[in-house]
Amino acid sequence: MFKSIKYTLLSMFIVFKHLFKRPVTLEYPEKKNLVNEYFRGKPVVNSNCIKCGICMRVCPSGAIKIDENSFKIDLKKCIFCGNCTFYCIKDAIKMSEAYELASSEKESLELIYKIGGENERNI
Amino acid sequence: MTKLKLNLGPQHPSTHGVLRLILELEGEKILSCEPDVGYLHRGMEKMAERLSYVQYLPLVDRIDYLAGFFYSELMCRTVEKALNLEISDKVRAIRVMMLELNRIASHLLWIGAFLMDLGATSPFFYAFREREMILKYFEKVTGQRMMNNYFVFGGVRRDIFDLEDVENILATLEKKVPDYEKLITENPIFLQRTRGKGILLKEVALNSSITGVNLRASGFDLDFRKRDKLYCGFYFEPVVLEGTDAWSRYKARVLEIIESSNIVRQALEYLKKEGELNQSLINPLNIKLPEGEYYSEIEAPRGLASLYIKSTNEKTPYRLKWRTPSFYAVNLLRKILVGEYLNDAIAIAGSLDIILPEVDK
Repeated sequence: MFKSIKYTLLSMFIVFKHLFKRPVTLEYPEKKNLVNEYFRGKPVVNSNCIKCGICMRVCPSGAIKIDENSFKIDLKKCIFCGNCTFYCIKDAIKMSEAYELASSEKESLELIYKIGGENERNI
Repeated sequence: MTKLKLNLGPQHPSTHGVLRLILELEGEKILSCEPDVGYLHRGMEKMAERLSYVQYLPLVDRIDYLAGFFYSELMCRTVEKALNLEISDKVRAIRVMMLELNRIASHLLWIGAFLMDLGATSPFFYAFREREMILKYFEKVTGQRMMNNYFVFGGVRRDIFDLEDVENILATLEKKVPDYEKLITENPIFLQRTRGKGILLKEVALNSSITGVNLRASGFDLDFRKRDKLYCGFYFEPVVLEGTDAWSRYKARVLEIIESSNIVRQALEYLKKEGELNQSLINPLNIKLPEGEYYSEIEAPRGLASLYIKSTNEKTPYRLKWRTPSFYAVNLLRKILVGEYLNDAIAIAGSLDIILPEVDK
């Protein structure tokens, strides 16, 4: 009996102590979690790309498609594993810090990057 | 009294995933229990047969989302063994540190969820607060909170940094774990719900292939870390308790958090002194394991996890098989739930630390 009362009071004490502490959670839509340099968000391709196709071959879900003059990443298939970034020999593909990628249009989830293009053809 | 058939799950919040238990009841007494698994089957083993080793590596984290590092390490270890790749001491220390932090995070989540099952809400939030610190550190170093994909064949993706964060985590754990003990361990309500419930005798556990904390809480000293090359040079004592009931399984996990933080501390001391990172990375497009069978094992938070690969010198494995510890724990429910009351079923199932994606693969 006394033991139960003792433990109830002790637990109450620990719980009430937390009333006077600052909250550890964030009020999400207003305040956002800061992400750091290596965060794996939306993949971005820059002009270093030489279309060697390594990223296409290490991608586990087949999200990357490369043709004549465009580089397509299907965000519906991408699992954000970072294989393409890690194995890229030219640092041409990077994972950016953007993480709120939900969209109501299917087309906007297909990223198309123009690379090489006319300049390359002239050479 | 008439017999009653009751479905516990698959959407019951206390089954941690989608586990369906078909219980046969007489009054409130359980006469038999039939676990029904497979609701979360993703074909992890079949998938390996059409993907190359590099493509398959990011997927293995998803076998057990609470302890992804362990399955990553297992996959890396097997391929390294087959290709005779040596990993340097610094890589080894980084891996040990990450694995043990992951083990702490997994046990913390279990404590929170288990207490939630029993009806206590506050410990859930406290445990998640500490776990959050570890996940924040994972996000900083690896890029994501749970599907880390940090280990690669022959090394790690990038050098470790911000070791002060790990020190912070350890200091916080040192302060907070006694708090849990004060709140939970000797609490009379908790004792009544767990003491003497779900007795798992040593012989039964060994016959049902139970490993890990569940076996050690039944008084059998078997820790696969002790014979693991990765942990060579790290000093630790496996936690062995004689209690055999749900309470001692809880206690063993709390003690294991402390033991794991000791290992993290040793790895941290080593990493602070160490200089550059030496890795033996290989060409990702041309990994072919020589013909033969390869097997390796690791002590995951829930017990022994192991991987078997049969290769025919192709770019993809001929057959790949995972042994996951929770699968055997689910099977054990058939035995230990019989004769118990329905009210205790959740407490007993929870105390075994079952993770469903790992059962179904």
